[in-house]
Amino acid sequence: MKLYDAFRSALQSLVTNKLRSALTMLGVIIGVASVIAMVAVGNGASQQVQDRILALGSNLITVQAAQLSDQGLRGAGAQSQTLTLADMRTLQDQLGTSIAAIEAEQGAGRWQVTAGATNWNTSVTGVSEQYPAVRDWNVQLGEFFTQADLNVNASVAVIGATTALNLFGDADPVGQTIKLRQAFAGRGGSSARILNFKIVGVLEAKGSTFGFSRDDQILVPITTAQRVLTGRRDVVNTVVVKALDNTVMTRTTDDVFNTLLVAHKIEDPAAADFTVTNQNDTLAALDQITGLFTLLLGAIGGISLLVGGIGIMNIMLVTVNERTREIGIRKAVGARRGDILQQFLIESIALTGVGGVLGILLGWGISQAVQRIAQAQGLTLLLLVTTGTVLIAVGVSVGIGLLFGLYPAMRAARLHPIQALRYE
Amino acid sequence: MIASGRLPPPRQPVVRLRGITKTYRIGREIEVRALRGVDLDVMPGEFVAIMGPSGSGKSTLMNVLGCLDAPDAGTYELAGQTVASLSDGALAAIRNRHVGFVFQTFNLLPRLNAIENVELPLVYGGDGRDRRPRAAAALEQVGLGDRLHHRPSELSGGQQQRVAIARALLNDPSMILADEPTGNLDSRSSAEILAIFQRLNAQGKTVVMVTHEPDVAAHCRRIVRMRDGVVAHDDPVAAPRRAEEEIAAGIGAAE
Repeated sequence: MKLYDAFRSALQSLVTNKLRSALTMLGVIIGVASVIAMVAVGNGASQQVQDRILALGSNLITVQAAQLSDQGLRGAGAQSQTLTLADMRTLQDQLGTSIAAIEAEQGAGRWQVTAGATNWNTSVTGVSEQYPAVRDWNVQLGEFFTQADLNVNASVAVIGATTALNLFGDADPVGQTIKLRQAFAGRGGSSARILNFKIVGVLEAKGSTFGFSRDDQILVPITTAQRVLTGRRDVVNTVVVKALDNTVMTRTTDDVFNTLLVAHKIEDPAAADFTVTNQNDTLAALDQITGLFTLLLGAIGGISLLVGGIGIMNIMLVTVNERTREIGIRKAVGARRGDILQQFLIESIALTGVGGVLGILLGWGISQAVQRIAQAQGLTLLLLVTTGTVLIAVGVSVGIGLLFGLYPAMRAARLHPIQALRYE
Repeated sequence: MIASGRLPPPRQPVVRLRGITKTYRIGREIEVRALRGVDLDVMPGEFVAIMGPSGSGKSTLMNVLGCLDAPDAGTYELAGQTVASLSDGALAAIRNRHVGFVFQTFNLLPRLNAIENVELPLVYGGDGRDRRPRAAAALEQVGLGDRLHHRPSELSGGQQQRVAIARALLNDPSMILADEPTGNLDSRSSAEILAIFQRLNAQGKTVVMVTHEPDVAAHCRRIVRMRDGVVAHDDPVAAPRRAEEEIAAGIGAAE
């Protein structure tokens, strides 16, 4: 039997029993729609996480001081002094044009900041001059500080957009002076330290990552942070390298590691007093987590698809029973078992295939609607229906048709022609 | 056993049965020996009636002849081919090519129109080219050229049976096997159906018809009578009744 005949016959039979076909399909439609919508939630979450990681800068390789072990006692990584600004300069010199940019950072904690009559509390970080290039983060007003500023421990600062708004409102902060103030317990009661910084630039707004606003911060030259703010003179928390592009990440990671090993005169790589983390690895790890999340959501949707599949099987068994005589007639005029099997399989696949397509449309509609509603409520919820999801949904619904149509079709194919012809 | 001298010179038989037996089991205890050693030859161009009372084994014989059922023992050659031990798929192909069925209950597919029902054998085998025009031609041949797109429910019983005959003719089978083809029809329609069979037979078609009505059997050229699972009598009909003349005279065939 040719496929064309089989398909025509299948569609004819679906059209003949319109209501029954529609109700049976509804199970598959709901199943596929829920898989699509659920996976869209998972995919959206995954995409959001990825976007936020990449918002910290792309193609990044991070070097951090390792926890040093002294006869079994481990110190906190941030307190060990194995990573220095000199290391950053060494990497910068040796890797040269094989990397895109490099910077070093040292956190200086939270400070009370005043500008004129307003005051604000925010975190201060010491960074080096290539910060904007490494983080893909441009200054919106003014300029970023330069290496010359680092050399003289200049009291200059670049502030985030939120910080600027809170301290200066709509006024232009560039050229203004802010006071960083830190209270400490001294002799004879508490006293405070007040440091003046001149604002040279304002960063463009970036939004928040994992709930932390990245626009509320103050950046100062790392040397100033080390010598003036924290007193930890030669400590660097992290060195961040930006690779040329994503394809050379692994090689650049190795280069960074080896260069630092040499610089630290360490021969055994296992004894390295620093760790090098590739952003791709972080992304991969997060991808795995969100992937698991997506899979879980998909499985919940899959259960309703399974129920839909059982509905298909049920109705196909009824159909085979009803059409026993037809099967007998077809066998009498020369239909082989394979022909009958094919006919009923195609019928159930047509049922689930059409249901699958409708389900995809419904699922896509649901995810769009949910996204609109979330947006109206001021939430950013990303639902992502990907081509992959759609293909899998079509594949699975056709597969369900095959799987649950197989048993009824086999029953039809195995009918004895005489008994089938006599069936009333 | 060999039919009357009015046949063409003896050739190889279309059907050659030797020692065919078939036993059914009803429940656990009861065995029904439906066929107990049937020998039968049907030559090309014959018009044979198989008669017999209920339980004589004629339906079982019909199933064996149509390759719908396999005998327990004995040899069956259909158009020179041994079919007794063929596989399911091979039997389906034989039915498709060599047997054209006409049933008492017409057995048309209700969802298909006349022409789609007629072309059904070509869907499952044979030369599928031009199947639409060939099906239309077969319907013309049985006088239904103006009912090509009618569903079975829109046709009378006699018309439905003529669609079934057109379907049986389509693959140019070695034998037309009719099981009580007039059993559900009024006498006028019965006469029309018999007239078609007689016309086809005159054109050289081999027709085997199972019936329990002597008046219907009287239109055949040879009558095989079954009793208790064997062939009891096998006689040529000296002067078969002419269905067309009876229609012209306004007499139903089975009255």
